[in-house]
Amino acid sequence: MGKGVAITGMGIISAIGNNVEENYESLINSKTGIAKISKIDTIHKDAILVGEVAMTNTAFETQLGLEENSWSRTSLLAVTAAKEAVAQAQIKDINDCRTGLVSGTTVGGMDKSEQYFYDYFESDAAWKYINGLHAGDSTQKIAHQLGLEESFATTISTACSSAANAIMLGARMIKAGELDRVIVGGSDALSKFTINGFKTLMILSDTFNTPFDDHRKGLNLGEAAAFLVLESDDIVERDGKEVLAYVKGYANANDAHHQTASSDNGDGAVLAMEKALKVAGLEPNTVDYVNAHGTATPNNDLSEGRALLRVFKDNVPEFSSTKAFTGHTLAVAGVVEAVFSVLALQNNVVYPNLNFKPLCKNSIYCQKQSLKKKNSM
Amino acid sequence: MANDYFIQAYSHIRNNQIWHNGESIFTADSADFSSFMKAAYKHFALDYGKFFKMDSLSKLAFMASNPLLNDEPEKNTALVMTNKAGSLDTDRKHQTTMNDYPSPAVFVYTLPNICLGEISIKHQLYSENAFFVFDSFNPSTLHDYANALLDSKKAEKVLCGWVDFEHQKHDAFLYIVSKSGTFEHSLETLNRLYQTP
Repeated sequence: MGKGVAITGMGIISAIGNNVEENYESLINSKTGIAKISKIDTIHKDAILVGEVAMTNTAFETQLGLEENSWSRTSLLAVTAAKEAVAQAQIKDINDCRTGLVSGTTVGGMDKSEQYFYDYFESDAAWKYINGLHAGDSTQKIAHQLGLEESFATTISTACSSAANAIMLGARMIKAGELDRVIVGGSDALSKFTINGFKTLMILSDTFNTPFDDHRKGLNLGEAAAFLVLESDDIVERDGKEVLAYVKGYANANDAHHQTASSDNGDGAVLAMEKALKVAGLEPNTVDYVNAHGTATPNNDLSEGRALLRVFKDNVPEFSSTKAFTGHTLAVAGVVEAVFSVLALQNNVVYPNLNFKPLCKNSIYCQKQSLKKKNSM
Repeated sequence: MANDYFIQAYSHIRNNQIWHNGESIFTADSADFSSFMKAAYKHFALDYGKFFKMDSLSKLAFMASNPLLNDEPEKNTALVMTNKAGSLDTDRKHQTTMNDYPSPAVFVYTLPNICLGEISIKHQLYSENAFFVFDSFNPSTLHDYANALLDSKKAEKVLCGWVDFEHQKHDAFLYIVSKSGTFEHSLETLNRLYQTP
């Protein structure tokens, strides 16, 4: 077992901050990003709460030097977070080794496509918004903005596991010697398409989401982009890189239960956690903190709680969900929480499980709501 | 190491008829695919209510995999399937419902790999799965993918094949690749078996 695959840079933009530092400040100060929707004119605006990124599209366009109203918000978020990650990794020449890009998204450029939906028939001016609809659009824009040439660049769209799968694919490609460096993550902007879709699934909460709480009513949607820079041991050594953390283990698994719901006993999550621990060569008792998916839907949190009990048995580590801060950022959730987990390791903290009211019918749900400092080893 | 693996069993569904290892096991004079599937469901006494919620592609894949997986004890059987039409049939249905009120029950089937999920749920397979879209039956990709899964010990067996549905036209050819069996796991065999019956 090697050390794993090195993480040398991180970038994030979410409802709780425009960069890594702002996100961390919000996390340790229990500052939620959930509020009434302000940037999309939806008929559901009084019935839902969301995690919106504060910056407007115009502000992004100015910052990135783009023509007004030319990109989808998914791409604007993506490029902003990817650039931060690359800057933190102090990459001088991105083409100095085999650098790849793996990005996850679920909505692609839907925010613009739906806005101009009725205009396509009327005029050709709106066509660029349909050309920017596909999931690969934001990936291409990141690659171009980062100056990647002839590199492996791909898009993963596997719903809420997209960015987790992107991290996994990137790490595997480095381990297999296919790439020396890979930027992995994802981006999803809020859109009517997602709001209406989740409304139809009837899993949106009309209040602040309350992960693992006994009275949880569902999720709040969020928007975000986040990326990690993964590098091989050779590149870390060559450039004398500071390593923020290592990707040691990963896995995905088939839950064999339902198209959209998780099994009540968390079969898929158990398999994935067990396989990830095996890949990492770690025993369950070496885990200090689990940043749970914790979407605050009745189904997810029950399934995930049971899975934690099955994997960790009598020694369930401290766990919390940060969805109460950011909302459920869909394709990006896996990498948002990877960034938060690296920050947790660096600072020895366990984030509060906001909005949770202790009831303690079942002892593993009795997590504290305040920030916790862990003793360093 | 292609010669290490064999085709353990195979099935076809074409023109309202189902074959298992080349022998016809059911046929019906049905006016449409849906009634053909309903007749087959009754004939095999499947007792699986979820079947009727499935889209046509899932029904086709489910019915073709059934004779192969019913008595299959190996649960680490991966699923690798391919087709040409993707989920177009259901995509069109979904598009039609958008004129009125889109149904989530239709929407969930607007991906071809959902049929692999249905098979996994029925036979409780927690294994690897993948779905690819090609212009035509592509034995070489299936062959290489199955061998890679077996060589890397990601699976003990692989259920592979072609399941295509569009405009009532249905074409399924599924087979299990295993460490023992009658036919050698080779491109020649796959091409030959695909074309029979």
